[in-house]
Amino acid sequence: MPRILVSRMRDEFDWVLFIVVALIVIVGLLNLYSTGKATGAPDLYLTQLYWVVFGSIGAFILSIVDYRLYERLGYLAYGVGILMLIAVLLFGREVAGSVRWFAVGEFRLQPSELMKPLLVVGLAKYLHHDPRSEDRKIEDLIIPGLMTLIPMFLILKEPDLGTALICLLIFLSIMMLTRLNVKSFLIILTAAPISGLLAWNYLLKDYQKIRVTSYWELMTGNNPDTLGAGWHANQSMIAIGSGKVTGKGYLEGTAGPHHFLPECRTDFPFAVFAEEHGFIGAAGLIFLYLFLILWCVRIASLSRDRFGAVIAIGVGAIFFWHVVFNLGMVLGVMPVVGVTLPLFSYGGSSVLALLLSVGLLMSVSIHRYHRT
Amino acid sequence: MQISSRNELSEFRKRYRWMSLFVVLTFLVFASRLVYLQLIQGSALYSESISNIIRTVTIPAVRGRVFDDKGRVLATSVPSHALVAMPHYVDMGKGFARLVQLLEIDVADAESISKKIQERLTDSRDMRRFQQITLLDRITPEQLAAVKTYQDELPGIDVIDMPVRFYPYAGTGGNILGFLNEVNRDDIEKEDSTIEDPFRPGDKIGRSGIERAFEKDLRGVRGWRKKVVDARGLPLSREDSAHLLPEASMQEPRPGYDITLTIDIALQKIVEQALSGHPSAAAVVMEVNTGRVLAAASVPTTDPNLLINGLSYEEYRAIEENPYRPNIDKTIYENYFPGSIYKPFVAMAALEEGIITTNDIVHCSGFHEFGRRTFKCTHRHGDVNLHSALVKSCNVYFYTLAEMTGMNRLARYAREFGFGEKTGIGYNAETAGHVPTREWYDKHLPGQFRIGHTLNTAIGQGNTKVTLMQAAAAYASIANGGTLYKPQIIRRIETPDGDIVKEYNPEVRRRVTITQRNIDVIMEALIDVVEDEDGTAHSAKSSKIQVAGKTGTAQVAKKARKESDTLANHYYKNRDHAWFASLAPADNPQIAVVVLIEHGGGGGEHAAPVGVEISRKYFEQIAPEQETPLMARETKPTQPLTPEARHIPEEDTSSAAAATRRR
Repeated sequence: MPRILVSRMRDEFDWVLFIVVALIVIVGLLNLYSTGKATGAPDLYLTQLYWVVFGSIGAFILSIVDYRLYERLGYLAYGVGILMLIAVLLFGREVAGSVRWFAVGEFRLQPSELMKPLLVVGLAKYLHHDPRSEDRKIEDLIIPGLMTLIPMFLILKEPDLGTALICLLIFLSIMMLTRLNVKSFLIILTAAPISGLLAWNYLLKDYQKIRVTSYWELMTGNNPDTLGAGWHANQSMIAIGSGKVTGKGYLEGTAGPHHFLPECRTDFPFAVFAEEHGFIGAAGLIFLYLFLILWCVRIASLSRDRFGAVIAIGVGAIFFWHVVFNLGMVLGVMPVVGVTLPLFSYGGSSVLALLLSVGLLMSVSIHRYHRT
Repeated sequence: MQISSRNELSEFRKRYRWMSLFVVLTFLVFASRLVYLQLIQGSALYSESISNIIRTVTIPAVRGRVFDDKGRVLATSVPSHALVAMPHYVDMGKGFARLVQLLEIDVADAESISKKIQERLTDSRDMRRFQQITLLDRITPEQLAAVKTYQDELPGIDVIDMPVRFYPYAGTGGNILGFLNEVNRDDIEKEDSTIEDPFRPGDKIGRSGIERAFEKDLRGVRGWRKKVVDARGLPLSREDSAHLLPEASMQEPRPGYDITLTIDIALQKIVEQALSGHPSAAAVVMEVNTGRVLAAASVPTTDPNLLINGLSYEEYRAIEENPYRPNIDKTIYENYFPGSIYKPFVAMAALEEGIITTNDIVHCSGFHEFGRRTFKCTHRHGDVNLHSALVKSCNVYFYTLAEMTGMNRLARYAREFGFGEKTGIGYNAETAGHVPTREWYDKHLPGQFRIGHTLNTAIGQGNTKVTLMQAAAAYASIANGGTLYKPQIIRRIETPDGDIVKEYNPEVRRRVTITQRNIDVIMEALIDVVEDEDGTAHSAKSSKIQVAGKTGTAQVAKKARKESDTLANHYYKNRDHAWFASLAPADNPQIAVVVLIEHGGGGGEHAAPVGVEISRKYFEQIAPEQETPLMARETKPTQPLTPEARHIPEEDTSSAAAATRRR
């Protein structure tokens, strides 16, 4: 490693980003130890730890390299992501009715998770080469729109509604960064509910519709089916609320060990955390996420080029929308959509993809003033 | 690679602030939601999270046992298991289908079980779905094993110990013990709301006999245990759950009290066997000096073990429609014309009132003319005095006596002896019987009262009705010198550990105002009913035991033959009821034995042998130490018909409207 790189890493290293992410990862691992132990899988955190180590090494390598290299490889990276999505549909392993994973023995990889940062890189490259001084029109959105729709379509085929939705929201978030003219903005605004309606009728599976309707019933108090589809939302709120101010104490929660939250490792780790650590712990964790996302925006704003800015905003969007969907579901303010809480939920591919995203972010932060 | 100029970046510049604002606002929504759930709703949700995992399981109280006088178990509870459900947690889809499959429940049962659960799930009262209900009683060991093995596939379903009532002596004494079955809505609603442990659906309630009368003592108070379970209803291990349980995590059940009866089941069996030659009959054996009932048989009986198992509709109809009425207790619920067993009390009235003396003679020419009516006797008895009239059961003598004594005086003495009022024995529905008076006739048959009614009363017909229990108590009072005891069936109530809850002692209802001299007169006559060659029960005389008694042949309303009747059945129904009321041993009576054979025919011929057999076996098998050896008892001469004896003229005549032929 050239000496200049070493000194730059030392001088420009984004300790704030590092510490915030490290805190989330550590707390997440501790929480996973609790849920794993309670649900009869005490080694769960270890599996997660391997992925964290693996992902951290990847992130470190990514952060050393000047992100401008990624700009050059942007479309290639994006293309690899698409190929993986196609491959998983052809050769993937079916689990619980979805084909989301490549599996080699114990090792399972979920390409759709990796697609999220790769989509960000692809879109960043496109926008980098398409600077505008005037407002963008609707037709200017066709190419980036297609770049998003192709992976979305492939992911919906798996099917994985949550991830597809996240991809759409990443696209919209990045586009919000650009200047849209009023007309195209209005078109998007009207198109959204129409496509939502179409999706409801033709795309959503029955179990997904039931989640939405049961959420509606639970919220309006209109004959909530708290034992059927509304079970998770209801049990999650009970678990969180029962934590009160200081929580029941680490390893003392009851929702997880008593199977009230069957998905507590992947979808509801926050409920377990909030039950055990109360308002103080839960609010602290939420604050960490808020801080991380605002830090992404800050990195974007300090970025010297469009590629870096879009990467930062894109990674921020990945975190933001994951947190929104997960907390929204867990806190009972949104329907149940199976989206992980970033770096907190159990799931190797997710952790890997997110840590690599952080690596990209770190690269943007470190190399903002310099070119290699 | 080109570096974006600041100018190129200006497109993005303004957005960062808006984005940050949007992010912060979104997080504020989550934060406020967190405040709401954890700080505002926290306590409520906390208790909900605890009630989520703590389930209260009831522990049934073992029902008290019933013992006979010698400590033999007549009713007990044997270990068994019941299938129960906590409706809230039952998976009515897959879980229920699995249950039906595992336990091989047939379609009809499965449907009714499913309905039972659904009823709770749709109940507007939220707590009801958390109350344990019984789905199946008495599951087989295989079913028990299946539920335990596949428990994790059967959320909300559990198996509990549910002792089942068992009557070791089957039908013997079934009329006394009664039976249990499941409570219905009425039982639950009607129950006293202040009771410590009210009925719940699936509970058992005594429906008749001792089981019903002492329901509250036998039942006990159920306990409960709190246990920690997971969302699937599976219990957690003790160390995992200990810290989650509230301090009071268990309440032991209080078992029901044991009841000891005065009944001797061996005697009861003897009595039922003695009666078993007849399709429908009853008998009571009572201790004369205490009023304790040693046996009270009513045949045919029904095995209570069958009744608690739950009868099919056909089986139930068969019992309901059985012409020999196995479902009623003929010793206290049914009342009959007493026929001639009533005569000693008529005689007692006349003697006590000084209307006759033992020397007074009536001439029986086989009938008694009364106005235009003729009241027949069984035989042409010739000259009879009180003694021979009782021994030979001469109706003419008693017609004459009745005319002289009058309806109301007869009634007064009959009531003294306990007729016409409930004995208060305290179990099963009891009939008071009936002792008619002038006033009663005036009220119910206005203007129709005739002396003929009095005549019929004197021979135990007309409107006079008694129960076997009343007859036994009344005869006992003759034997013990005039003390009328309340028939006693319960000796004591005690806890399973043997602590006495309540001890029952002989209870005197009244001292009948009769003199010992008159009692002796009656007793001597009763002895000769069996001993004397002309006595109506002489054919039943036993060489082993001397019995005093009185036969009775109670006429039944003659019925026209119905198409459905077989000829035999028709003759059966029109045959008279046979009575034998007796005291044994004759010289120092210990027990009163009253036998009634429905449609048995003549009392001397059919009931007396049964009565004597019961007495004989009692002293041979049950109480041999009390047996008084049959001494060469100096037979007292029958009252001689001396010339001095006053003849009672028969000229007291008035018209009798309702006349009946009597023997």
